[in-house]
Amino acid sequence: MSVPSAGPSRKAVRWIPAVAVPIAIAVGVVVVPMQANAAVDLPDLTPKQLLEFAAASDVTTLSGTIEQTSELGLPDLSALKGDLAAPSTGGAGSAGAGLDDLLSLITTDHTAKVYVDGSNARLQVLDRLAERDVYASASGAWIYDSSAQAATHVVLPPDADLDALATAMQGEADAAKARLEAELGAALPTPEAMLDQALARLGDSTDVSVGTDSRVAGRDAYELVLEPGDPDTLVGEVSIAIDGENGVPLAASVTARGASEPAFSVAFTDIGYTAPDASVFAFTPPEGTDVTEQVIPVPTVAELEQWQAEGATGAATDHPAPPVTVHGEGWSAVVELEPAAAQGAPTGGAGAEASAMLDAITQPVAGGRLLSTSLVNVLFTDDGRVFAGAVSADRLAAAASER
Amino acid sequence: MSSSEGERGPEGLETSSSATRPAVSSATRSADGPGPQAARPSKLGGILSLLASELRTLFRRRRTWAMLGALALIPILIAVAIRIAGDSPSGRGPAFLDRITQNGLFVGVTAIIVAIPLFLPLTIGVVAGDSIAGEASHGTLRYLLIAPAGRIRLLVVKYLAAAAFCAAATLTVVVVGTLIGWALFPIGPVTLLSGTEVSVGEGLLRFLMIAAYVTVSLLGLSAIGLFLSTLTTVPVGSMAATAIVAVVAQILGALPQLEWLHPWLFTRYWLDFADLLREPPVWDSFADNAVLQAGYIVVFGLLAAARFVTKDVLS
Amino acid sequence: MGDPGGLGVSAESADSAGLAIETHGLTKRFRSQLAVDGLDLAVPHGAVFGFLGPNGSGKTTTIRMLLGLVAATAGEARVLGAGMPRHVDSVLPRVGALVEGPAFSPYLSGAANLARFDAADRWAPSRTRAARVADALEQVGLAHVAQKKVHAYSLGMKQRLGLANALLMPRELLVLDEPTNGLDPQGTREVRSLIRSLARDGTTVFVSSHLLAEVEQVCSHVGVMSAGRLVAQGTLDEFRDAGEARALVRTPDADAARRVLQGLGMHVDGSISAGRVADDGGVSRPADASADVVVTATLETTPPEAVVAALVADGVRVRGFEVERASLEQRFVELTGEGFDVVQ
Repeated sequence: MSVPSAGPSRKAVRWIPAVAVPIAIAVGVVVVPMQANAAVDLPDLTPKQLLEFAAASDVTTLSGTIEQTSELGLPDLSALKGDLAAPSTGGAGSAGAGLDDLLSLITTDHTAKVYVDGSNARLQVLDRLAERDVYASASGAWIYDSSAQAATHVVLPPDADLDALATAMQGEADAAKARLEAELGAALPTPEAMLDQALARLGDSTDVSVGTDSRVAGRDAYELVLEPGDPDTLVGEVSIAIDGENGVPLAASVTARGASEPAFSVAFTDIGYTAPDASVFAFTPPEGTDVTEQVIPVPTVAELEQWQAEGATGAATDHPAPPVTVHGEGWSAVVELEPAAAQGAPTGGAGAEASAMLDAITQPVAGGRLLSTSLVNVLFTDDGRVFAGAVSADRLAAAASER
Repeated sequence: MSSSEGERGPEGLETSSSATRPAVSSATRSADGPGPQAARPSKLGGILSLLASELRTLFRRRRTWAMLGALALIPILIAVAIRIAGDSPSGRGPAFLDRITQNGLFVGVTAIIVAIPLFLPLTIGVVAGDSIAGEASHGTLRYLLIAPAGRIRLLVVKYLAAAAFCAAATLTVVVVGTLIGWALFPIGPVTLLSGTEVSVGEGLLRFLMIAAYVTVSLLGLSAIGLFLSTLTTVPVGSMAATAIVAVVAQILGALPQLEWLHPWLFTRYWLDFADLLREPPVWDSFADNAVLQAGYIVVFGLLAAARFVTKDVLS
Repeated sequence: MGDPGGLGVSAESADSAGLAIETHGLTKRFRSQLAVDGLDLAVPHGAVFGFLGPNGSGKTTTIRMLLGLVAATAGEARVLGAGMPRHVDSVLPRVGALVEGPAFSPYLSGAANLARFDAADRWAPSRTRAARVADALEQVGLAHVAQKKVHAYSLGMKQRLGLANALLMPRELLVLDEPTNGLDPQGTREVRSLIRSLARDGTTVFVSSHLLAEVEQVCSHVGVMSAGRLVAQGTLDEFRDAGEARALVRTPDADAARRVLQGLGMHVDGSISAGRVADDGGVSRPADASADVVVTATLETTPPEAVVAALVADGVRVRGFEVERASLEQRFVELTGEGFDVVQ
């Protein structure tokens, strides 16, 4: 009982746990995943073996969680959308809704659940207080948006005979192959040979390598790294994680040149390969939902044959040529949209709201306005053309001044 | 001992004291010497007994009922307004507002969405911020401590009472919302976010789970309020500070420039309870939220304990 | 003056059972201010200890340290044989206390407040809680307002409720800080009587007060605080004896008496005519040679009987002889150097 009361030192001691615990938490958050990563060591594979391994993947059932993040370096758009604190309203009905959704898709992070069994698939995008779903099955697909309470039913025409079509197409393909082989006087390459060729072609512009093994979604994964050799592109590296056990791609990310963090990434955070419960795929539009029926025109076998006949005689040339021009090739290709095609784009009078938003996210440059991100630049020229590419703004300007 | 205790002495202090006291005191002393050591009660029993008393005190307060009443007004106002003014255009106002005319059960969830940014944190701020500072300002803290309540035990009990209030507050909103929706609107199978329908029974169960989710979401804030409450003897200060912390955290959570901070904010999952309205229900955020809130409870609980055990109680 | 019964009990148990409260060098410093400075208290078991001192002399801070509410800056405190604040959990159930006035939740009834504090005591059986609360309320005369909210209570009623709280369980030690604050004279008498009966019963009572009357009438021991220091402590009798004793000689032969007293080595400090002043309207007969004069002198170590013998031997007509001790009040002023109710 020599020191019965709390002196200064004793007082200080009381605070130790309160300080130590946050440190322990922080250390746990940082160190534990690092150790987990360090432990992964899969058998070494060459890039080619890895690609083959991925291609041979026969996984037909899975369920998991996907997270998409992007750090494109765009200005903050949430203030523009005016829903800083209020929960997202989905924005159906406003003039700029389409652009709004598009921007939100690019600039915000998303979490989605994916369910696949042999014949059904479902994508469940988990929005805050809302959800968008795609239920796909053999009989068609439902697209459901909870905030708009709208469902779109995408179906094939009731008289579509897919089997017959498939048979016809297969027949066509076999015939084409036979014709080609006859012309070449040799057998067409096997898939493996095609992979070799593809890699060889890729090798000119891209350095393909196998990166360090890591853990993705709790699974040991290979990393396939694509590095563009083209100095003009903004893309620094594309990385794909492949499940070391069954070849399923688990993650993909694109990193801008010179950046350390990916500008865009999609990754499973959680995945399982057992077949999901069938109830997951069941969907009947609930009462009070706006249902839109959309029939995808599927040609019949007869129509297909007719088209082929027309194609052979060149009768189909009355279709206008696509108003899209590609300048350059490979990683540094620049896509040009003619004014007619760019009509739907924001500059083309999609409403004052949209153009105000465009003004907010673009900056004026010589000859137009530039939307600049770490990965992609888009140039809206004053004469209404749009140039886009994973290249610097100067390259876009150069492409624009070619004419 | 109880027999002599039970005796009603004659009125007045002098006579009754001489009539009952001696018997009581000598009885105890002869029976077990220094009383406490003889039959040492269990720590848990002590906590439960004090907790029961604390809950009785909390829910006997008019202020507590006034706050629960104010929270109950939110769903009532929403339901009555929609009943009078008619359906709101789709996509405007808080989520689920446009579903109420189709299904009255959504009043509760809509009210939770309205209440969660400000009203719930405000009431939790009052209860948690008052927990220690309120006792200090009344002077009752010193009497609780010399009872002796035990400083850590008192903190734990105060925290549990604040947590109980969180549950009461969210349940009030959900239950009152469901009842008023039931009274004013048609009721039917509940359409989930995924577009699938579940029965009324399962819908109600999901709403109860949402109440649990929101309760868990508020536990971190309660711990912060408890800590702030140990810093002052002016309860209004810690109450206001707690509410302000909740608002500031939500503002920080809305700033994309501070994205690195967002996973650490206790408000991170406040609006993610809708995960329980998906089919199948997504439990990821519930678990993440629970871990996050537990982290806040541990950190601020330890801070509160560190502060409180060394605090000189001068009020 | 003191309660004989109470003193008797305290004397017995003080010898047998050691100290109920014991501090060594107990010190509390609030930032720059030294509130309690090196306190060495010793309160025997069974004593009624009057803890005296002007407001602001550190009494309440000392009590808070004894009860583990405030951590001492230095020194140690033992209550009922165990160190504080380390053994708060085992000591305080045996201690009832009223600290710096009563305090209750105003929105609860008196009975509910008591039940709440009782529930905070792990050793208080919940089974008998209602009965004990009712009994304690009865004891302090509040049974009729038990269900009233405390905010409707008067100051005196709150004080009584505070006492009831201290009496919820049988206690070995009662620490009562200004227990009669806010009470009417009737209530003050009741509290005094309560303290006496508890003491008779063997409970040690530690009463702090700035009112001497309270302490004088019930205490067996006193301690006096001044500016954070304990300037005196002991039994009430020791305390009184420690004061200066003076001899008062009533005699018509003032000069002769003065000579004799001085001859005994006593310091004569005054003489006043002591005629029937009140009856006759003051100093009406100063020249009357046969009028009595009261000669006062410090007694010091001379036995009183020796003084009387010497006076008589010298032919002084001793018409009255009295030995006067300083009153506690004078003693107190002597020790604290300032009046009561003076904040230092």
